[in-house]
Amino acid sequence: MKNRLRVLRAERDWSQADLAERLEVSRQSVNAIETGKFDPSLPLAFKLARLFETAIEEIFTDGE
Amino acid sequence: MLCSSKNPAARRYMWRFSVSMLLYIVFLVLAVLVFVHYRPTGPLAWLLAMLPALAIIGQIAAFGLYLAEEKDELQVAMGVKSLLWGIGGTLAVTVTWGFLENFVHLRHMDLMWVYPIFCMFSGLAFGLVQLRYR
Repeated sequence: MKNRLRVLRAERDWSQADLAERLEVSRQSVNAIETGKFDPSLPLAFKLARLFETAIEEIFTDGE
Repeated sequence: MLCSSKNPAARRYMWRFSVSMLLYIVFLVLAVLVFVHYRPTGPLAWLLAMLPALAIIGQIAAFGLYLAEEKDELQVAMGVKSLLWGIGGTLAVTVTWGFLENFVHLRHMDLMWVYPIFCMFSGLAFGLVQLRYR
């Protein structure tokens, strides 16, 4: 699954560690999601959407 | 990461694991000493023989609790993957060994080795999974 996390994070000048702290997950998790190696659960995807004040589909696309 | 001091679930796991490991060493030494010097029989012998295994069950329970308490879903996924590789590797080795024992009379493997084999495969898998999600 593709995502725009890196862009959204850069717009706010947040590091992966900053985002991880806000999400209450490890930096490793943020990196794995950002690089598409790990797909977050729906609750975590909603948390990301709330944090970036946008819709889930604005962050994640199915890559097709 | 299990060793991260910021992660309360990982801290609790390390604490529980350390306690059960310490108990394992104490129980094992106790069982060996009592069996060598006093040759107990009956229920006491059974209890003493089971004590080290109870400590190992404690280690397994500690990891189960960690998976239940960990809030970081990537860490949970990595833990579960490592467990599955550990189980798969252990089954592969033990079932192969079992057939070799039956058909070509390979030396008997004590069941006590099942857990160390599982730990070896799980640990190896955990390292590889960590590399994958680095």
